[in-house]
Amino acid sequence: MKVSCFLQKQVSCPSCKIILLCTGAAGETVKVTCPSCGLIGMVRFEQLFDASTKVVEIRNLTKTFGKFTAVDALNLTIFKGEIYGLLGPNGSGKTTIIKMLCGLLRPTAGSAKISGHPLPCKAIMNQVGYMPQDTAIYLDNTVHENLLFFGGIYGMTKEQLKKKEQEMLAFVNLQDWRDSLVSTLSGGMKHRLSLACALIHEPSLVFLDEPTVGVDPELRATFWGFFESLAQKGVTVIITTHYMDEADHCSRVGLLRQGHLIADGRPSELKDKTGTRSLEEAFLSLTGGKSP
Amino acid sequence: MRLGRTLAFSRRALLQFRHDRRTFAFVLLMPLLMILIFGYTFGGDVKGITIEVVNYDTGLLSDSSHLFPDGFFLARNITQNLDQDVLFLHTNTDGENAQQLVREGKAWAAIIFPLNFTQNFLSSLLTSDVTSSPKIEIYVDGSNPTIVAAIVKEVTQSIQTTLKELSASLNITDVDMPIAIDQTYAYGGGDTRFIDYFAPGVVSFAIMMVTTMITIILFVNERRNGTLQRLLVSPASESEIVVGYALAFAVIGIIQSIVVLVAAILFFDITIVGNIFLALLVILLLAFGHQGLGILLSAGAKNELQAIQFIPLILFPSILLAGLFWPIESIPSYLQPLSYVIPLRYGIDAERSIMLRGWGVGEIWFDIVILVLFAVLTLSASVLLLKRKN
Repeated sequence: MKVSCFLQKQVSCPSCKIILLCTGAAGETVKVTCPSCGLIGMVRFEQLFDASTKVVEIRNLTKTFGKFTAVDALNLTIFKGEIYGLLGPNGSGKTTIIKMLCGLLRPTAGSAKISGHPLPCKAIMNQVGYMPQDTAIYLDNTVHENLLFFGGIYGMTKEQLKKKEQEMLAFVNLQDWRDSLVSTLSGGMKHRLSLACALIHEPSLVFLDEPTVGVDPELRATFWGFFESLAQKGVTVIITTHYMDEADHCSRVGLLRQGHLIADGRPSELKDKTGTRSLEEAFLSLTGGKSP
Repeated sequence: MRLGRTLAFSRRALLQFRHDRRTFAFVLLMPLLMILIFGYTFGGDVKGITIEVVNYDTGLLSDSSHLFPDGFFLARNITQNLDQDVLFLHTNTDGENAQQLVREGKAWAAIIFPLNFTQNFLSSLLTSDVTSSPKIEIYVDGSNPTIVAAIVKEVTQSIQTTLKELSASLNITDVDMPIAIDQTYAYGGGDTRFIDYFAPGVVSFAIMMVTTMITIILFVNERRNGTLQRLLVSPASESEIVVGYALAFAVIGIIQSIVVLVAAILFFDITIVGNIFLALLVILLLAFGHQGLGILLSAGAKNELQAIQFIPLILFPSILLAGLFWPIESIPSYLQPLSYVIPLRYGIDAERSIMLRGWGVGEIWFDIVILVLFAVLTLSASVLLLKRKN
């Protein structure tokens, strides 16, 4: 599903308070110049998603490790074409949620469904892409061999792989490194390859666990570009991050603290609700001033 | 289980070995070095053992008996029949001096033939009176059991040869010889060298070590790099992962065995009596079983350093208890039962039976059953291990 309709948004100029009407595509950021005072500002258009198709349904999902409760009775529904951001400090339960949804951890209580299939369900896994926190690619193989392998375990045929590999290499800009050993690549390149390996089988649901940790600002911007283009194709992207500024790219965010979902909504909703200008401030306001 | 997915695992692992030249060299060179080093150091049987020979025997002079017109010197005949390759003979006229040389370490043994050796032999032969049979005195430095065994073996063989020649020249067969040993070999034809015995063991041992070690390290890395998580999230099943790797190790095992066997044939001229394909089948079973063991052990190691600590744990029992160098019969009897729980024992046993005795499935079925059980057990346990979730 490609969302190509243009959106309109009313903004007020911060200096002369004039109301402007801006036009842009979903997920796009446009530059706006105030006609009266000449002030230049940026206006973001949030991702659209198909709120009629539930992709992930989480009911009372709980995970305890001994006495420690990592995730506490989580309820959440994520729709098709969303970029859903799980936000929170280290140890707030983001990765545990992702791992339970991927079937790597067994929930202590509660349940989760992917596209209506109760988990664990091996059959649904060929529609799921997963990029773990670790780079998780084979260092002693070439870029080409890694892509071929990850495509192969998703049952892709030679012809499908041949076509898709070119596309993915172009997508993450590694065409010139196809036959290089992964161990010789830079950290950023490894990260890009890892992302390509998670996407080569054209999943409709992608879990990205802190994909931008340790990634330089330029590559982070490139990555978010990837994610937004995926969402526009109707792919559901679930992403964890502790960079609050990144969360503005999400269609919806869930703020996590000590295993609890303390807020859930569009970035603009959360900011409006708390009367703050950034998600970071919103988070601080919601946690009663305690730092994330 | 789908073949395409399974083969994706095998192909990736094999490509990894192609890029990681050092590991690939280890896989091939480790067994090659073993066969060369052990082949050259252990391989040749002992040679050139210095021996003092003292001959007091006067023999039977010519014309003194109608049976021996040219005379008869039994001690001289026995001495001449000693293998001059194995024993370096030095003639000495003084028994005391010869023994002194042994004590000083200048000779390994003194062989002393007493006066009237020939006469006493003949009289005991004619009268069938065993009490008068002659004795050869061997004064030997017992500090090296291998050398003692070689000397005793050579002297015994020489006596036998001499007596056979004697009965042939006298054209008698019905006279009871004082000593008569008729040795016939069921297998090996009597010229089996240590290297022939050792080569089948090296093949099995190399497969075991390489498969176990590489599997542990591969799976420790899979866990640590996070690739294993990715595999577990994919539609590939745990058994496809295990079988995929098993096929890769099968290829490596076959390449390794061919390298070792070709080296053994080229450098040491070993002969393989039995079916080479059966020998390879046993190799594959060993590889599968130890791959399973490697996956299981990998769960107990957090990094490569910890993985390496498993080496002595696997290495020593295999070297000492599986009959690699020494027969299991040479292990103290209270330790022998331990060797039954070491799978390598059955691999070595089967390989030896195939290569040296030319045995087939009919004879080594027990070894094969044990190895199949071992492989099935460890591989299914490793599938369960991969399935285990927190």
